[in-house]
Amino acid sequence: MEHDKLGRLLPDDIDRREADELDATWRMLGGIDAPAPDSDRMRARLDAVIDALEHAEPSRPRTWFGFRGLAGGRRFYAVQGLAAAAILLVGIALGRFVMSDRTRPADSASEIAAMRSEMRELREMVSLSLMQQQSASDRLKGVTWTGQLDRPSGEVVAALLDGLMHDPNVNVRLATIDALERFASRDDVRRAAIEAVDRQMSPLVQIALIDFLVKTNERQSAPTLRRLAQDPRVNDAVRSRAAWGLQQLG
Amino acid sequence: MARQPRQETDQLVRGRERNLFRPLVFTQSDGTVTDETLMDAVRTGDLAKLGILFERHHRELFDFLVRMTGNASAAEDLVQDVFVRVLKYRATWRGEGRFETWLFRIARNARADYFRTRTPDAPIEEAADHPSSAPLPGELLARTRDVVRLQRALMLLREDKRELIVLARYRGMKLEAIADLLGIEVGAVKVRIHRAVKELRDIFLRLNESPSWNTTNSVGSCPTT
Repeated sequence: MEHDKLGRLLPDDIDRREADELDATWRMLGGIDAPAPDSDRMRARLDAVIDALEHAEPSRPRTWFGFRGLAGGRRFYAVQGLAAAAILLVGIALGRFVMSDRTRPADSASEIAAMRSEMRELREMVSLSLMQQQSASDRLKGVTWTGQLDRPSGEVVAALLDGLMHDPNVNVRLATIDALERFASRDDVRRAAIEAVDRQMSPLVQIALIDFLVKTNERQSAPTLRRLAQDPRVNDAVRSRAAWGLQQLG
Repeated sequence: MARQPRQETDQLVRGRERNLFRPLVFTQSDGTVTDETLMDAVRTGDLAKLGILFERHHRELFDFLVRMTGNASAAEDLVQDVFVRVLKYRATWRGEGRFETWLFRIARNARADYFRTRTPDAPIEEAADHPSSAPLPGELLARTRDVVRLQRALMLLREDKRELIVLARYRGMKLEAIADLLGIEVGAVKVRIHRAVKELRDIFLRLNESPSWNTTNSVGSCPTT
């Protein structure tokens, strides 16, 4: 419901002409649209928090992107589409290259390898560049793209860790946690996850990090989790999940 | 425990809780359980009921926050933050007022905290996509330009004034509800709405005279008074 008429919202002693002018502005405000929320994604995250509070047990199987239902989000499909298009282009380019170079079989293998390497570097560069954009949706795309990278460099891991620690957007930080799972064998990644779970202000991110630490069986996180579980100032859902995490880690 | 699909949950609660709660007190005229009753249930530990409240209110909350921040990503974060705060502060719910007013009070605090600790993203990144890039007939084009300019003027307006306009114009809140939310008299709300719309119009006209008038003149970042 909207107030289409301004008149009855104004004091009674307003000059008629002024009221008409202001009413014209008021009506024009009705022409400003607002984007729609990604309800599925938000609901999935709320459910994760409720689950954490209710059961203090692992959330349901997470999607590639982090939380249940998130895969249904439009952004996920958009990013998937972009990734698919990029892979298709790489495939076409490689196909053409192979067909045109059949006359030089001795060179083709090394050239294909070189081309693949260049494409990998290009995709990595695109991911890193996206992660530095001002728009949160671009940064989210950049983080997601890193999942498509074959043998990403240390620079990518560093950018993901930076995003986890400093990105102002919760969705981006959550995506970095998923992206970092493939690097969970690295000490610096696990150390950063322990540090982040203490520093993060968002309960959603803290819960995702606790899940990450449990999944990677990071026993060194036990003191941090214990502190979180016992701190009355910490969000209830986070405390419950930290307590559950401690149990899992034994 | 498997959660019921969302659309069905509301109906389920509707059907089941009719027997649990006295309709005249706890249900609305259409038979649905009131927000206040659901929040009572959340407070006493039935956290799943928050899902129903989320379904009922997240869109209007998002609309309020996206119009206040001009940034859809930030608004989504804030909506999530608001519902997490509802869980966190559920014990403070006394059921003495309307749930919606309590929810918007939390939303106002969440927004204030959010921008106290973060540098805002580029504003209205999504809104910029709204005006079509396709060629428009002259009159329609002029009208679209006016709307874009008005949107810009709204974002340049001081936050407390923008908030009044968003609540009254887009949320359709009654004067009494706004007065309750802001903790002021209805008469004062009328006066403030008048001032806010007048200032909005002034900024809009200035933008029309000089389209290059930019955000360095912004008063939108002034603290809420």
